[in-house]
Amino acid sequence: MSTITSSPAKRFAGFDAARWRATPGPFKVGAIILLAHALFAIIGVFWTPYGFAEMGAGLPLSGASWQHPMGLDQIGRDVFSRFMHGAHIVLLLAFAGTILGMVAGTALGLLSGYIGGWFDEITQRIVEAMISIPFLALALVMIIAAGPALAGEPVLIVFVVGLVYAPRIARIARAAAMEIATREYVAVAELRGEGTWSIVWREILPNAANVLLVEFSLRLSYAPILIGALGFLGFGIRPPTPEWGLMISENRNLLIASPVTVFGPGLGLASLVIGFNLFTDGLSRMLGQRAVAGA
Amino acid sequence: MQKLIEVRNLNIAYGSPAGWTNVVQGVSFEIARGEAFGLVGESGCGKSTVAYRLLGYGTVNSLVQTGEVLFDGTDLLKLDAKSLRRMRGNRIALVPQNPTTSLSPGMRVGSQIREMIATHKALPPGMSMQARIAELFALVGLPDVGHRYPHELSGGQQQRVTIAMAVACNPDLLVLDEPTTGLDVTTQRQIIQLLGDLRSRIGMAMLYVTHDLALLAQIADRVGVMYAGQLVEVAPCDQLLAAPAHPYSRGLIASIPTVAGTERQARGLRGVLRRDQMSTGCKFEPRCDFASAACRSTPQVLEPVAETRTVACMKWRESAVPETPAVKPRLDAKATAKPERLLSIADLDLTYRKPGLFDKLLGRTSPSVVRDIDLELRAGEVVALVGESGSGKSTIARAISGRLPPRAGLISLDGGLLDPALKSRSVEQLRQIQYIFQNPDVSLNPRRRIRAILERPLDHFGIKADVKTLEGVLENVGLHAGYLDRFPEQLSGGERQRIAIARALLVNPKLLICDEILSALDVSVQARIVELLRSLKEKHAVAMLFISHDLAVVQQLADRVAVLYRGELMQLAETETLLAAPLHPYTEMLLEAAPGLSKDHYVSRPPAMPASKPVPGIGCPLAGRCPRQVGSVCAETRPPVQATGSGFIRCHVPVEKLATRAAPPVEKRPAAVV
Repeated sequence: MSTITSSPAKRFAGFDAARWRATPGPFKVGAIILLAHALFAIIGVFWTPYGFAEMGAGLPLSGASWQHPMGLDQIGRDVFSRFMHGAHIVLLLAFAGTILGMVAGTALGLLSGYIGGWFDEITQRIVEAMISIPFLALALVMIIAAGPALAGEPVLIVFVVGLVYAPRIARIARAAAMEIATREYVAVAELRGEGTWSIVWREILPNAANVLLVEFSLRLSYAPILIGALGFLGFGIRPPTPEWGLMISENRNLLIASPVTVFGPGLGLASLVIGFNLFTDGLSRMLGQRAVAGA
Repeated sequence: MQKLIEVRNLNIAYGSPAGWTNVVQGVSFEIARGEAFGLVGESGCGKSTVAYRLLGYGTVNSLVQTGEVLFDGTDLLKLDAKSLRRMRGNRIALVPQNPTTSLSPGMRVGSQIREMIATHKALPPGMSMQARIAELFALVGLPDVGHRYPHELSGGQQQRVTIAMAVACNPDLLVLDEPTTGLDVTTQRQIIQLLGDLRSRIGMAMLYVTHDLALLAQIADRVGVMYAGQLVEVAPCDQLLAAPAHPYSRGLIASIPTVAGTERQARGLRGVLRRDQMSTGCKFEPRCDFASAACRSTPQVLEPVAETRTVACMKWRESAVPETPAVKPRLDAKATAKPERLLSIADLDLTYRKPGLFDKLLGRTSPSVVRDIDLELRAGEVVALVGESGSGKSTIARAISGRLPPRAGLISLDGGLLDPALKSRSVEQLRQIQYIFQNPDVSLNPRRRIRAILERPLDHFGIKADVKTLEGVLENVGLHAGYLDRFPEQLSGGERQRIAIARALLVNPKLLICDEILSALDVSVQARIVELLRSLKEKHAVAMLFISHDLAVVQQLADRVAVLYRGELMQLAETETLLAAPLHPYTEMLLEAAPGLSKDHYVSRPPAMPASKPVPGIGCPLAGRCPRQVGSVCAETRPPVQATGSGFIRCHVPVEKLATRAAPPVEKRPAAVV
């Protein structure tokens, strides 16, 4: 029975109360956490209680207080100010890196899945080789290969995140494309004599969109961890720019003297990752729940 | 007769985020012991929902609002899960629609039947499990296939297995949910024959759910016609078919194509079942030809009109008056001057496997799927390609469209040779051949609006178009401009198929390849698509290659028919000639198997030499199955092509002999009742 449920105009309408109630719980919690992070990051760009690189904002290692909620580090910088300023760096790097990985991985994966044959074979062997290397090792190799001139540049971090993720995304995209390529609307386009790009862009991509969207937000939730790990190991953003992983690394000696200086950025990172994860979980449930014919 | 099961005032609603939808309303009927009751209606009318409730089964989001299902005095709707489990399979069994998905693929079919018997401890005393399973297989006409996996069996055999499983515990009631929908005509008839046979032997009652009235005519004693969740007519089968009382039954019967009903041009149903457009009165009012103002406001309930017959229509007296069949003389469009040749296929030979390097070196060839096809189409002509599934119909279409480069043979369009590979064909050639697929659900991109779907081919072929073009083509296929901004999922199956047809017509093709385009649609929708195709043929003079397994549909549309069996053309003839005198034994088998609108006591003729297997690639593929096989010559040598009046046949038996022996079985069949 095909009942017509909603008009297309209504389907893309804004957020209303009924819609909000119908969304799954994890999605709501995740969305709220992410929204808080975004607000925090925006404020951090324009205003912080102290300068993020301002030394001697207070007595070093004096612990948490109302003036310095996350304490002060070894050279007397206010950790909370650094934390606030660092928020947008983490978010921007994560987004830029994941988007880069997404574009590269999706293009490669969809083409590989649709074209098949030797192109698919070669692409998949390369992808498998890249996936078999642990992602942190791969990232370090790339950073070292880039040389000292680029080390610590945000552009390099974005590229590293993108390249680490691209093969993983490519596999998902390929699986989706292979399935969609058997659909008859693709055959119709082929019979029309459409080019490969046109078919991938017009026929396959729109139908792979919900799979890719979930994959995107999943990768996005891992990106802060990767960036943080790189920062912690000293391969990330160049100091004194306050990236959260770098801050944890800088302050790890103070874990006993003033633990709050490590916990602050650590909690920030954790809540961001949890927020992304919940959001993804809810999103995939919502997309999976909707019976989309042909996707 | 004693009542076995009785359904009383059943109301079922389906829940959705939008609220409850009443799917079944006030349905009441009963089935006596040993009786076969048919439930018929278009898709979405609630027939399967009712059928599954007879097993006490409903989906999670369905709710029985009121009603009782009394089986032998107990109400199935009030039983707890445990007693229901005991009942199902044991006393009420189900034969599902699609055996391919309902048999467990990883389990031997014998074990699946064993499971059924073991669960219900239904082994007859003094009999071993093995013997019982073998007996069941014999009962459904299968050899002992217990050690096989489902994928090793054909669709018809799989359905026999599910039937064997259903009757394993000698149930009192068998619920059959469209058990033959996915099967070939000949297989379908064998299953129907089997069911009739089983019924007389075991004496169980049946509820047969289908959309195909012609099939019910063969098996059911009484029929309930359902529309929008309500029973609109319950009557003995022959009475219903001879003189339907409800306008809906009438329309449904008129929609059915039958081989015999060539001159019948009765009015089919218009519109589609739309639950959102129901009037408070009679549900059928929006589509009814007899509707009046009173119909819109007065709900109709089943009223007895004769001893064994009830109808839910206050105007049944008017509508029951037999309509004088308006004999529309079929316009013989055959002009004296034959139009020029459009498509010609010569010596086409197709295979799916590409020969590997070793095969080439050793000179091995893979078996052909399709061999030696010679066919031609003239401009504006409709040629039907008919055969059972797996006969290579779609494969030929794929080769013509360029999706499968042939191993040998030439295809030319309009005088110019078509390149075997799609990529090397010119844009112009691509435009001239348009392909319409079987299933409109997957041939339209679900993420694009109809407008984008229709505009894309225009863009691609560089055809200038304005707003009027799209509106015009939609009007041509019976839709309107309001559809342009919708997504395919918002359209019904028939509407989607119309969009697919519109997309093909939009680029002014010379040849339309219609690959089973009706088989995914309801009977009433089918009838209207056939009507549409016929008018398009007259208006646009577009040639069509119409692929179908259904001879009844074909005879309404096609000028010539090509009969295909296992990749070889068996016969080519003009439609009327073919129907009047089939000549070829295989065509005869197909025609006899097509159900008419009255009980025809079909018995498939046994093969003359079942043991003789054709030599692959050389012998006649029909050898071993053919009722008129003349000897081992059929299996061992290639049958000669014999010219007939309007075409040819490929058979060892001489034409004269075929013509004389064809007479008796045709006479035996009573003419279909209009």
